[in-house]
Amino acid sequence: MVGFIIQRFIAMLLTLVAVSIVAFAIIQLPPGDYLTSYIAALSATGDQVDPRVIENLRIQYGLGEPFYVQYFKWISGIVQGNFGHSFEWKRPVWELIWGRLGYSILLEGLAVIVMWFVALPIGIYAAVRKYSLGDYLATIGGFIGLAVPNFFFALILMYLAFTWFGTTLGGLFSPEFENARWSLPRVWDFLTHAWAPILVLSMAGTAELIRILRANLLDELKKPYVTTARAKGLPEWKVVLKYPVRLALNPLVSTIGWLLPALVSGSVIVSVVMNLPTAGPMLLRSLTTQDMYLAGAIILLLSVLTVIGTLISDILLALIDPRIRYGSK
Amino acid sequence: MRKDNFFGLSAAVAVAAMMAAAGPALAQQQSPTLDELVTSGALPPVAERLPVNPMVVEGDSVGKYGGTWRMGLNGGGDNGLIVKTVAYDSLIRFDHEWKTAVPNLAESWEVNADATEFTFKLREGVKWSDGTPFTTADLAFAVEMYQDPDYAAGSWIDNKNNPVTLEVIDDYNFIFKFGKPNGMFIETLAGVDGIHITSLQKAYCSQFHPTYNENAAAEAEAAGFSSWALYLQDRCAWGWETIRYANPDLPSLNAWVIETPLTANAQRVTWTRNPYYWKTDVEGNQLPYIDNLDMRVSQGGVEELTLAALNGEIDFQERHIATTTNKPLFFDGQEAGDYHLGEVIPSASNTLVLQLNLNHLDPVKRELYQNKDFRIGISHAIDRQEIIDVVFTGQGEPFQVAPRPESTFYDEELAKQYTEFDPDLAAQHFEAAGLTERNGDGIYLASDGNPVKITVDVISALRPEWIDMLEIMQLQLAAAGVEIELNNIDRTLFYEKRPAGEFDAQVWAGDGGIEALQEPRYYFPFSDESVWAYRWAQWFNGTRPEIAEEPVDWAKEQMDLYNQVRAASTPEARAELFNQILAITKEQFPVIGVSLMPNSYSIIRNNLKNAPESMFNAWLFPTPASMDPTVWYFE
Repeated sequence: MVGFIIQRFIAMLLTLVAVSIVAFAIIQLPPGDYLTSYIAALSATGDQVDPRVIENLRIQYGLGEPFYVQYFKWISGIVQGNFGHSFEWKRPVWELIWGRLGYSILLEGLAVIVMWFVALPIGIYAAVRKYSLGDYLATIGGFIGLAVPNFFFALILMYLAFTWFGTTLGGLFSPEFENARWSLPRVWDFLTHAWAPILVLSMAGTAELIRILRANLLDELKKPYVTTARAKGLPEWKVVLKYPVRLALNPLVSTIGWLLPALVSGSVIVSVVMNLPTAGPMLLRSLTTQDMYLAGAIILLLSVLTVIGTLISDILLALIDPRIRYGSK
Repeated sequence: MRKDNFFGLSAAVAVAAMMAAAGPALAQQQSPTLDELVTSGALPPVAERLPVNPMVVEGDSVGKYGGTWRMGLNGGGDNGLIVKTVAYDSLIRFDHEWKTAVPNLAESWEVNADATEFTFKLREGVKWSDGTPFTTADLAFAVEMYQDPDYAAGSWIDNKNNPVTLEVIDDYNFIFKFGKPNGMFIETLAGVDGIHITSLQKAYCSQFHPTYNENAAAEAEAAGFSSWALYLQDRCAWGWETIRYANPDLPSLNAWVIETPLTANAQRVTWTRNPYYWKTDVEGNQLPYIDNLDMRVSQGGVEELTLAALNGEIDFQERHIATTTNKPLFFDGQEAGDYHLGEVIPSASNTLVLQLNLNHLDPVKRELYQNKDFRIGISHAIDRQEIIDVVFTGQGEPFQVAPRPESTFYDEELAKQYTEFDPDLAAQHFEAAGLTERNGDGIYLASDGNPVKITVDVISALRPEWIDMLEIMQLQLAAAGVEIELNNIDRTLFYEKRPAGEFDAQVWAGDGGIEALQEPRYYFPFSDESVWAYRWAQWFNGTRPEIAEEPVDWAKEQMDLYNQVRAASTPEARAELFNQILAITKEQFPVIGVSLMPNSYSIIRNNLKNAPESMFNAWLFPTPASMDPTVWYFE
C-alpha cells in the first residue's frame, strides 16, 4: 500500500508540472494581455491612453517577455510560495484567493454532504423497490434535477423567494455579519443564507448520484452472491447493505477526484447569479481581464485539487475493493 | 430638453464671480454624527473645518442629516460607478443642465485671448479629508507625478500633443499654461477628466516618491513591491483607478470617504461622510446630508441587484440595472418597492453604429467601403422601424449617427438622411457603387468577383440587443444583396483587431450625441474609437505613427477645422467651426446608424428627496455626482 501511494505521488507531481505549463500557456493564448483589456476598459469609460504609457506599464509588469521567461519566473515564485501579483488588484494573488477558496470549499463541501445524504438512501430504495411508486418519483425527480441547469434553478428560487416572501436570496451573510468574526450568531446567519446555494448546488449532483447508484445496485442485486446470502438466511437489510451497496459505491468513489475541482469550477455561474463570494466569479473575471497570475494560480490550485482527489479516490477504492489493491501489485 | 447653448463657457466666468460673492450668512451646522467628535476635541468645530467661502449648493428643499444611500456595484472592478457617484470634485464642474462650467474647488478663473493660459483662484481654507489644507502645492505635485514617466497615467496633464505646465503664484492662485491653444480646456476640466488634477495629496503621496523620501525604494520593497513606482501606484492611484478605492488612508476632497475598501474580496464597499467637506446648503449647513453610502458588490451578475431594487433595497441607481428589458418589471414594482422611476437622457445618439472599415487592408473592400453610394445603399436597405418595434418595443425613431435633438448641434437633415426603408433606392445606390452582378443567392459580386460579405465584430456581452438587431439587419441586407456575418467576440480581441486593419466592420453605440464637440469620434477621424477610419485617426493625433495613413481631403479638412475649434476662445466661434465639420459629415456619411437611443430611467426611493427626476447620463458628465447628491436627503 505504501509503495502504491509513493508511486501515485510521483505521478502526481509530474502531472502538476505538466498542468502548470498548459495552464499558463492557455491563459496567454487569447490575443493581447492584461494591458489590452485595461486599455479596453479605459476606452469604454471614455479615457484615452497614450501608447507610450502602455509600453512603460508593459515593461514594468514584464509583459513583453517571451512565454518561457514569464513561465519560469512564475513557477519559480510559486515553488517559494509566491503566486505573483494580480495586475488588476495590485495585490499578492495568494492574499486574494485564500478566502474565496475557503468559501468555495465550505459551500461545495456542504453541498456534497447534502448530496450524499439525500442520494444514497433514495438510490438504494429506488433499486430495491424497482418500479414502485417511490422509484418512479425518484426517477422523475432525478430527471428534472439533471435537466434543469443550476443557474436557472437559482434564478427560479430567487424569484420565488422574492415574490412569496419578499426577500432577496443572495450573498452568504447579512450586512452586519459580513465582516464580523466567526461566532455562533454568525454561523446561524450563514446557514440562513447558505441553504439556498447549497440546495441549488447539490440538486444536479443528487439526481446524478441517484441514477448511478440505482443502476449499479440493480446490476449487483442480480448476482449469485446476493442470492447465496439471502439463501443463507441473512436479514434483507444486511443482504443489501453489506455487499451490493459497497460494490455499487465503487464508481462513486472513483469520481471523488473530479469532485474537488468541481467544488470551485462547478459553481461559477451559480455564484455569479446568487452573488456568492467564492473563487468561481474571481476565476471568470481574471480570465476576461487576462489577469494571468491570478487566473493561473486558481487553475493551478484546481489541478492540485484534482490530483489530490484522484489520490484519495485511489486509496479509498483500494480500501473498499480488494480487486484494485491486488491489481496494483 | 433644450436646444440653446450647451457649453456657453464665456458665461462661466461671470457665474463664477457671482457664486463667489454669495457666501453663507447663517449659523453653520453639522451632522449630529460629528457632534461627539467635536465635543471630545477629536475634530475642530465646523466653522474651522469649512473654508472661508464654502461652495453653496442649492437643492429643491433644505434637507436633514442622516441615513444610508444603498446601491450596488457590478463585480469588483466597477470603479466607474464610484467615480460617477462620489469622485466628481474637481476645480470646476458643470451645472445640472450640462451647459456651462461653474466653480467648485476653484472659485473663479480667467482665460487669455488665445486660450493658452488659464488663471485660477482656489477657494481659501478647503481641507483634505484628513484636515490638511488643500493648496496649489497639491496641484503642482499632481502635475509632477502625472508627468513622471515612472508613474504612467495617461490624461490631459501628460498629453504629449499639448502638455500642461503649472505656474504657482501663491497658495491659492495659479496658471495652467499650454504650448498650443486649448480652447476646450474648460470643458475638459469641468468634465470627469478634471478629477485627475485633484486626486493626489502631496503630504500623503510624496512619502512614496524618491524625490521626497530617500528611503522610498526600501520601504516599497519592505511592503512587498518590486519598485517604488508600483508602491506609489498602490497607495496613491490616480484619477479613477480601481485600486484608488482600496486604500482608506488616501486623503480625498470628496463628500464621502472610504470606510470598507473596494478589494477583490469585498462583498460591500461602504463610505462615511467627510467631516472636512467644503460645501454647505443655502442655510450654511455643512454637506452632505446623507451620512453613509453602502454599495453591495455583486459577483458580476446583476440579477440580485435587480431583485434588491424591486425590493426597495436600492435608494438611487441607474447604472447596471436600468436595462430596456427590465423596464416593465421596474415599472410594475414601483408601489411594492416604494420607489419611482426618474427620467435619464442618454448622451449616446444611436443604438447601433455600423462602422465599415474605410481603411481596410484589402484594396477591394477598402474601395467598396469608401464608396459613399455603397453605404447609402446599405442604409436604405435597413428597415429601421421593424428593428425598433421588435427589439425596442417601439421606443426610439429611425436615426443616423448625429447629435441628439437635445443638443445645440442637432440637424434634422443629418439625423434623418437615408433612413427611409427603400429597397429600390438601395439597389440604385448599389449600382452606382459598381455592384451589378449577383450570384445565385442574390448577393452582389464585388470587383474581384467575390460576393459582398461583411463580417461584423460585435461584443454581445456589452449590449445583448446588438445581436438581436444585427440578426434582423442580416435578413434585411441579405434581401438587398449584401451578406453580413456576425462575429461575436470578446472585448480584448475586439480592440486588438483595430490596429491590424483587417476587420470589415465593428459595432458600437452612438457616443457623442450630446457632447458632440468633445466626443466627435463618428463625425471625423478623431480618436482610437473612430474605428471606421482608425488609420486616419492615427495620422490626426499621432499616437501610432507606424500605421498612420494620410486621410482623404474631406477628412483632412475636418481635422483642420477641429484644430481651429481647439484654438478658438469663444463658444460661438467653436460652434460655428464645429457646424462646418458636421456639414462635411453630412455630405460624406461615414457611418450608418439605426435608431435614436431611447431614454433610460433611474430608480428613486420615494423617501429620497432632492434627487433628480430627470438627468443626462454620460461619462463626461458623471451622473449622478454631477446632480449634487450632497444635497439629497431622506425624509
